[in-house]
Amino acid sequence: MEKVIMGNHAVSYGIQLARAQVIAAYPITPQTQIVEMLSEFCADGLLDAKFIKVESEHSAMAATVGASFAGARACTATSSHGLALMHEVLHWAAGSRLPIVMANVNRAMGPGWSVWTEQTDSLAQRDTGWLQFYCETNQEVLDTVIQAFKIAETIFLPIMVVLDAFVLSHTQEPVDIPDQATVDSFLPPYEAKFRLQPGDPRAFGGLLAPDHYMEMRYKMQRAMEEAVAVTSQVGAEFGKVFGRSYDVVEKYRMDDAEIVLVTCSSITSTSRVVVDELRTKGEKVGLLKMRLFRPFPFAAVQEALAGAKKVAVVDRNISFGHGGIFAAEIKSALYGGAHHPLIFPFIIGLGGRDVTPQSIRNIVSYTQEHDKPGEDIIWMEVKR
Amino acid sequence: MSEKIVFKTEADMPLLPMSLDTTLYNKTGSWRYVRPIYRDKTPPCNQACPAGEDIVAYLRLVDKGEYEQARQRILEENPFPGVCGRVCGHPCESECNRAQLGGAIAIHAMERFLADLPLERKLLTPEPTAPAGAKVAVIGSGPAGLSCAYQLARRGYHVTVFEALPVAGGMMRVGIPSYRLPREVLDAEIAAIAALGVEIRTGMRLGENFSWEHLNAYGAVFLAVGQHRSRKLNVPGEDAQGVLPGLDFLRQVNLGQKVKVGPQVAVIGGGNTAMDAARSALRLGADVTVLYRRSRKEMPAISEEIEEAEQEGVRLEYLSAPVEILTARKKVTGLRCVRMRLGEPDESGRRRPEPIAGSEYTIEDVDTVIPALGQEADLSFLDKGVRTRGDMIVTNEAGTTSRQALFAGGDAATGFGTVAHAIGSGKRAALAIDKFLRGEALDDFPPLTEHVHAAPRDVDPTVVHFEDLNLAYFTEEERTPQPQRAVSERIKDFGEVNLGFAEKDALCEAERCFSCGTCNQCDTCWLYCPDVCILRVDHEGYEVNYDYCKGCGVCVEECPRDAISMEEELKWRK
Repeated sequence: MEKVIMGNHAVSYGIQLARAQVIAAYPITPQTQIVEMLSEFCADGLLDAKFIKVESEHSAMAATVGASFAGARACTATSSHGLALMHEVLHWAAGSRLPIVMANVNRAMGPGWSVWTEQTDSLAQRDTGWLQFYCETNQEVLDTVIQAFKIAETIFLPIMVVLDAFVLSHTQEPVDIPDQATVDSFLPPYEAKFRLQPGDPRAFGGLLAPDHYMEMRYKMQRAMEEAVAVTSQVGAEFGKVFGRSYDVVEKYRMDDAEIVLVTCSSITSTSRVVVDELRTKGEKVGLLKMRLFRPFPFAAVQEALAGAKKVAVVDRNISFGHGGIFAAEIKSALYGGAHHPLIFPFIIGLGGRDVTPQSIRNIVSYTQEHDKPGEDIIWMEVKR
Repeated sequence: MSEKIVFKTEADMPLLPMSLDTTLYNKTGSWRYVRPIYRDKTPPCNQACPAGEDIVAYLRLVDKGEYEQARQRILEENPFPGVCGRVCGHPCESECNRAQLGGAIAIHAMERFLADLPLERKLLTPEPTAPAGAKVAVIGSGPAGLSCAYQLARRGYHVTVFEALPVAGGMMRVGIPSYRLPREVLDAEIAAIAALGVEIRTGMRLGENFSWEHLNAYGAVFLAVGQHRSRKLNVPGEDAQGVLPGLDFLRQVNLGQKVKVGPQVAVIGGGNTAMDAARSALRLGADVTVLYRRSRKEMPAISEEIEEAEQEGVRLEYLSAPVEILTARKKVTGLRCVRMRLGEPDESGRRRPEPIAGSEYTIEDVDTVIPALGQEADLSFLDKGVRTRGDMIVTNEAGTTSRQALFAGGDAATGFGTVAHAIGSGKRAALAIDKFLRGEALDDFPPLTEHVHAAPRDVDPTVVHFEDLNLAYFTEEERTPQPQRAVSERIKDFGEVNLGFAEKDALCEAERCFSCGTCNQCDTCWLYCPDVCILRVDHEGYEVNYDYCKGCGVCVEECPRDAISMEEELKWRK
């Protein structure tokens, strides 16, 4: 059934269709409608889940961890400062190998106080052991939530599904909402491998001495590596069932492309328009959409950029003292390989400043006009 | 302790840091130095009830819809829930912790609701304890006498109650007007006691209709003759026609005798007799003024009675006392009064009224004066050798008098002046007589100001106060009012003023009860225990698994009603 819904409600519908059993959440702009709608689903009997109101995001994740330990399909949603407050517990979720799914609405960190979109909040959590998916449309948000449960429950690591504040969260788009029976056939009930239960008490998360700690971390990394292939498989299977396929990255008009834009989230949609426009003018411009950020899809990126001369990475984030985070990751992915395109590291749209088709045209023009990037960070549209 | 497991490679290791075997071997209870113990404490209502009812217990049963069981809990202690649910001054409500969050639980209305249930009463009889053929005589069929007779009869004694008046019930019958206590309610409760085999012989005044020697045939005698004589005003004119002592007036009205009052009536006093007399006179068509020498705050009458009297049109004049009853041709014509002011507190704790010099004034056109300044016992019938102090029979805590096998209670021995106290006093005497006739020692009785229980109650005597509750669990909820007949209707006759609770009202009040100090299986402890060592037992309560309880105290802290105690290890008591 197609409905015109906001991105936040796409998350809610995805969680409902996934038959989540426990939801513990604390409201924060711009995530609030996600949990509002979920609480209504629970109250109206449209979702048979325990909705736990908590007093902070730290507790939201702690309760989600507890529920997941008890064998429930558990999820939550947050944004920005809420995510930052969860930081400690994010490690607990991943280190405990709990298949939790969390939606994070990208919002710039304060101060200055901001409610608008930017990726720094989620990217700052990249080393917590969580998978991260960045979504381009409301449809992709809903579809990714459903896939996320399946992937997480296969590899036993938690997953963050990321969407832009307002550009997606509060913007209405037509979304196909699949029927429950089909989702049920795609996503069977969660079977926990280990459970917290009074009748068979075990110690979880206890002291781990140096002679064992490293092996646990090794196993987590192996699971992350495995997750790349699992994501591709689940995305393909989803395509077979629902008619919409997904992969770790998406190549758009990349045949013979000499200049490749690398984007993620809703900037991708804007960039598609510009790429189409430039292609009609005969310019060899392509687009690489990054969907999966953790684990980083090294092979897919290397393969996609094999023919590119120049790569313009569009970062709506900043690692202070370093630069755009995607640019750094792309550079790292290409290091040691046979082919070394020039990487143009753009930073644009921080704090939710609009990234328009003209912004993307300007990025492409800059890349065309310069033989070398010239700077470690190419700041776009900064008043200076 | 489990064996140490050695992992050769990461493949042998679990997915996450967890124990591969049960952790039950690790008895974390050994870390504990304090232990939580489920121990019900005393709710303030129970502590305050002179009849010794287990109020919280029956409110909990009402909450569960178990009305008959709830009524049984009352009947174990008190055979008069229909009377007490109507006329008791409910000291329980004055102490109720709920008062601070929406108003005290309407306990008296709950008691009445249970008493009025259209269900046949099954009076439980405990295991008979009476020695074969044991006979007890009770002198007086008021609340004390009948309470004693009831408790003894339940235990297998043959009890004969001697009543001086032509009807049974004592003050419940001749003191309390029917608009507060309909006769059929009283009749039914007395009949239920008689149905246990208690013989009630009316028109039998000790010393007139039968002798002290006659009582020798009984193993024990309980004197509960009450206080049926009004205290005198001690002002000139008191002997005039139109002066009608309060208790005499009420007795005549309540026995259905024709009484002429008014049209202008002055009632002197501020207690329940004054209110009853004033409202009865009003119903006989009089215009009524009550004169009280202190202020409203010091009035001993039940506050609802004062409010209802005022609503009905009784005028209350405070800080005024009569100095003379004005007469003409030996008939009352008016009152000479003096204005009072309140001085220092007296021995009762109330401020002593003092006349203001030169403030005398006259109230004209008074036809009837009803003094209601309190009452006293007529002890002229007493045999020599029974010790008295003032107008009261002297007893100890067990109710024994100075004479062997003679017990005394109720107002004539205690002077508390309420039905509930009299019921408690009669029960105390019954328990003492039972022990006495079985040859047991009569110690262990609490002071007369405390109550006794007929049914054993295993609770900590510590009273739970408002600050002992966990207020995070309670919100303000309004007290449910009891419906009443409209003022304009009820002053026309002696029909009952209060109409009682509907079932929904009773359920609402039962739900409001905090269940202070009394576990009601709310599961809070069970939910909060971080070590999963609180276990539910047959939906009747909980047990702590001390093998694993670390003594963290979360259950004690979280318990909404202070029903769990923390005791130091090695010092705790069951």
